[in-house]
Amino acid sequence: MTANASPASQAPAIPKRWSRYKHPESLYSYAGWLIAFSVVVFSIEYLNIPLDRLFGMFGRMGEVIAQRYYPADIDYIMDRDYLGYVIETIQMAYLGALFGLLITIPLAWFAAYNMTPSKLFVYPGARVFSMSCRAVHETIWAILFVSILGYGMLPGVLALTLFSAGFAAKLFAEEIEAIDMGQVEAMRATGANLFQVMVFGVFPQVRVAFTGIAIYTWDVAFRAATVVGFFGAGGMGWYLKRSVLQIETERVAAIILSIIVLVLISELLSAWARNTVMKMK
Amino acid sequence: MAVLEVRELRARYSARGPEILKGISFDVEGDDFFAIIGPSGAGKSTLIRCINRLVNPTSGSIVFNGHDVTKMSSKDLRMVRRDIGMIFQEFNLIDRMSVMDNVLAGRLGYTGNLRTLFRMFPRKDIDHALHLLDRVGLSDHVDKRADELSGGQRQRVGIARALMQDPKLMLLDEPTSALDPKISREIMALIKEMAQELNVPCLCNIHDVKLAMEFCNKMIGLQDGMTMFAGPTEQMNEAKLDEIYAMEVL
Repeated sequence: MTANASPASQAPAIPKRWSRYKHPESLYSYAGWLIAFSVVVFSIEYLNIPLDRLFGMFGRMGEVIAQRYYPADIDYIMDRDYLGYVIETIQMAYLGALFGLLITIPLAWFAAYNMTPSKLFVYPGARVFSMSCRAVHETIWAILFVSILGYGMLPGVLALTLFSAGFAAKLFAEEIEAIDMGQVEAMRATGANLFQVMVFGVFPQVRVAFTGIAIYTWDVAFRAATVVGFFGAGGMGWYLKRSVLQIETERVAAIILSIIVLVLISELLSAWARNTVMKMK
Repeated sequence: MAVLEVRELRARYSARGPEILKGISFDVEGDDFFAIIGPSGAGKSTLIRCINRLVNPTSGSIVFNGHDVTKMSSKDLRMVRRDIGMIFQEFNLIDRMSVMDNVLAGRLGYTGNLRTLFRMFPRKDIDHALHLLDRVGLSDHVDKRADELSGGQRQRVGIARALMQDPKLMLLDEPTSALDPKISREIMALIKEMAQELNVPCLCNIHDVKLAMEFCNKMIGLQDGMTMFAGPTEQMNEAKLDEIYAMEVL
């Protein structure tokens, strides 16, 4: 029996040299670095990137901002009509993020490998669905829904919903996959059903992360909402497009400023919300 | 009649993987405090998880109160699980919930989905939880979050949660290995006292042989998935222990 054999007779010889990457693998890693470097050199060569123009960019950028975009036309964004469209953008982002997150909760559950009800059918289905939501850019969703439903908020909300769902479901599923399974095991051992295991064993562990993801989703949805208007799907994007086309650069600057301010506000709110959720029982 | 009859139990985690349990048989009777001892990797945890099918055995039978657990539908299995309380090595409390909610979680098997969602447990359950928390000495900590407690206190919550199920059998998976020696003894004494008071037999994984000898009346010794010893604690001696733990040096 092995247990009785003397350790000395079995001890393997101590290797004389040690290196992290053994002979064939070390070659692969060197080759990998070489290829990555050559591709960079080749791409720059091929694109014929004029490096001198790149370095002169900052000066020109300063000039352009100073001459054309300054001062921003603040009166324009204080206009009642424009503010109405800001509100519409916020509403669109809010509804899109909300519906997206509602879809996300079951979708992420199904797409998390450790908790999915069926690894054979539900898991791949949920993964493919969330991947296809993400694969198509939000502006393309917007164009698609505008062509089906016509101009207005509805196609915008739908585009944002799919965009948010695909985006949040991936992040949320990853959070679920990283939980401590001991708590899940304990809940299963009490005789809890699948739903109860989710409510007691899983959700408390991902609640803070979910809030973070929800707020982040809102941020991203809001930024996307400003753009979908470009294609007629409602919101301030339409104003942005019109000002850009009319070369009203001072108005464009004001609109961009208003977007920055709104995103900043939502960042502050998100920090506050995260802290609050973290302390909850 | 035995509460739990295990016969020729075999288990492996994957079709090609090694066999973890190689034909284990034993009976747990109404007033037993039954120890499973053995070195790390002997299959103790797998064995205890087979009883309530947190791990599915590959063959053999587990008869609990006259019903074969191994052949049950998932619905029947949930009915059996709510009759079996379980205490874990790492406590496995819901860290972000209060002590009260953790103890009430023991009633999930008896609670509907809607009540679960809003954590609205019946008055009767809440009163019982308060009583149990008093018995395990945590009356002052009812509203604290579980992750604010010390190790010994957390295991007391674990005990209260298991007892909340009104169990007909308790499974203890190394209940004391995350605790220091003094607290370990206190926790074992508390579990034994409560089990005797409520007439619940216990099946306990434990690698601390001294504690096992002190608190348990029967034991089986596992080595590499096979039974090396089975019988009353008094029959265990140094020579047999040496044999069971011989493989631990590897």
